[in-house]
Amino acid sequence: MKVLKVPAGTIAVFVLPCLLLYVCLVFVPILVSFYSGLLKWDGIANAEFIGLANFRDMFANDPVFWPSVRRTLLYALASMLEIPLCLWMAILLHRYLKNGSRLASIYFTPVILSVVIIGQLWKTIYNPTSMGGMLNGVLVSLGLDSWTHNWLTEPSIAMYSIYLVSLWQYFGYHLLIQYTGVTNIPEEIYEAAKIDGAEGFKADRFITMPLIVPIFKISIVLAFIGSLQAFDMVMVMTGGGPAHATDVISTHMYNSSFLSLKYGYGSAIATFLVAVCLLFTVVINFFFNKLENRYS
Amino acid sequence: MVRRAALKPLAVILAAVMALSLAACGNSGKSDTAATEKNNGAAVQGSSSDKKITITFQNIYPDPTTPSHKTLNELVKQYEADHPNIHIELDTLNTDQQKVKLKTQAASKEVPDITIVNPAAQMKPFVDAKLFAPLNDMLDQNGLKDTYQSGLLDYYSFDGNVYSLPDGNNIEVVYYNKELFEQAGIANTPTTYEEFLNTVKTLKAKGITPLAIGEKDSWTGSFLFMNILLRTNGGPGFLQDVMDGKKTFEDPAFIEAVDSFQELVQAGAFPDGATSIDANAGGNIFKSGKAAMWVIGSWETGAIDASSVAGKVGAFQFPTVNGKGDPDEFMLAPGSAFAISANSEHLQETKDFLNYFALNFPKKQFEFKNAVGLGQKVDGDLKAAGYSDLAIEVAELFNNVKGGDLAFDNTMNPATAQVHLSSIQNLFVQKVDSAQVAKEHQAAFEANKE
Repeated sequence: MKVLKVPAGTIAVFVLPCLLLYVCLVFVPILVSFYSGLLKWDGIANAEFIGLANFRDMFANDPVFWPSVRRTLLYALASMLEIPLCLWMAILLHRYLKNGSRLASIYFTPVILSVVIIGQLWKTIYNPTSMGGMLNGVLVSLGLDSWTHNWLTEPSIAMYSIYLVSLWQYFGYHLLIQYTGVTNIPEEIYEAAKIDGAEGFKADRFITMPLIVPIFKISIVLAFIGSLQAFDMVMVMTGGGPAHATDVISTHMYNSSFLSLKYGYGSAIATFLVAVCLLFTVVINFFFNKLENRYS
Repeated sequence: MVRRAALKPLAVILAAVMALSLAACGNSGKSDTAATEKNNGAAVQGSSSDKKITITFQNIYPDPTTPSHKTLNELVKQYEADHPNIHIELDTLNTDQQKVKLKTQAASKEVPDITIVNPAAQMKPFVDAKLFAPLNDMLDQNGLKDTYQSGLLDYYSFDGNVYSLPDGNNIEVVYYNKELFEQAGIANTPTTYEEFLNTVKTLKAKGITPLAIGEKDSWTGSFLFMNILLRTNGGPGFLQDVMDGKKTFEDPAFIEAVDSFQELVQAGAFPDGATSIDANAGGNIFKSGKAAMWVIGSWETGAIDASSVAGKVGAFQFPTVNGKGDPDEFMLAPGSAFAISANSEHLQETKDFLNYFALNFPKKQFEFKNAVGLGQKVDGDLKAAGYSDLAIEVAELFNNVKGGDLAFDNTMNPATAQVHLSSIQNLFVQKVDSAQVAKEHQAAFEANKE
């Protein structure tokens, strides 16, 4: 505080409004929901305190919970694996195109569309052959009849169909972030490296990579947190069905709280979700700090 | 000194910020009350007789083309014209939105003056929380009670008190497209399950989708399944028996119903990808003439008459299953209902308004050609009023009703109902051992017993 040469009161004026709002809108609800997780409560009538029983049920007795956690983490993994691909595309755009930003903007278009629209669009694409689904139609016209599926209603593949749509939608988002990062690297460095004989892949490896790490981290964290909270896309496309085959943590939480009227139990799931988000954010930060230290 | 002077405005600002953020922490439902209070404050200055009163009326008729929407708006407008001091604030939502909003409001005890609930088990949590006002005294005014079909109000009563007034009373019927039946060479509507399955197979062989359904909203499949259970159980009351401990879900009647339902799935009765089709889209498969039958509540009669298959549709009773059951027993669907908040600031005025509303509701609905499936008696001849043949046919089915069951989620508690709904949804996508389905139900029932 002393370093800033400003009275504490002035600091408070600038910091407190946001801090209070943040505490009020984020931390208080998290604590309240943790407390609700300790209740047997239908969300309407009086609640009964039952300690950690909800958490015990969640970890030990709920046949939907662990599969939905697995699906969520798989989703997170897939979204994170997409980022290197985005980076690669961004490098190519920057290197070979005069006006790469225009193309990057085009890739960005799915992001500005509402998830509901995207979901409905892909639902139509995924429709069964008998209802004129485009994907199946293409497969049939290629003579690949045996490859056709009911993409959203076969329990074993429905989840992957949803992953694909999300990855498609957010590809442009991360591409744009990476592209901005790549273009912000000063041209002089590349020119200097060129004189030293580093071009193409070599320049990528020793100049672009180290300098893009902070931007790369942003994308990874965004992708991770975003996919943990994935809710809307699943809700629009399958609603978690058929028979929980596409339930992720957040849809399971919603269904428990509002459909099964187990508000306390839903809050316990929410608490778990917050804990996982915090844990992984710390882990990712730790990992990237090490990486940045190595390069600097 | 300088510090002190600087701190004073700071304290004021901080106080303001605190107040703001605290307000932000509050529930959004409060804004309604705040608005009402403001109105009161203004009214205090005027004379007390024409005190301005605002009644919030949460409702689920958002579509302006539907008769219910028109009925509601006309009655509200009329009432406001007759009572200039009363303003009725409409909070119009989709069914699903309203369900979630009401639950959120209920959690903070901020229920609107009038709201919408579903009968029996679905409204019980609200009644247990004492959120609704008993309406017995109001039902006795102007003979309102006698307008309701006998027994109907029982679904909305707890411990001898009526807590809400239904907007309708429907039964589950099988609508069928006569033109498509003709195309497939089917002369008669099926009366046994065997014939029903054969009808399905014949239609399927002709490339016609036999049964429309939108199983993404899983209540649709359950509603059909429960009709089969009503038959295999040889009559109503299976779920009640389970709750009373006289039967379990592992009863042969339940297992037989699951098996029969699976036969229907195996015969290819439903559209491909049924579990990703929502209820509205599922209905449109029938209403656009792409499916031959639709097992659904009689509330769809008006919508079918307004669709492209109008005039080609008939209705029949759900067949017997393996020789069991009585076709005159139906799945009953007492409608969603209007309830009054126990904490309403204008309880008496709200009751007076709802009394007027409920008395005139059936008359207006009749005028708007929506009298089929009303929960109240109306004078008037359907034929003379220009109702369609389908409407008259369905109205005749009503005359045969000997009794029946309520939907699963109106009977069992929500947690058990959710397990049931997804268990039935699962039958659409894979063949399952019916004993396993029964076990799953029983386990969920026992885990969520109160």
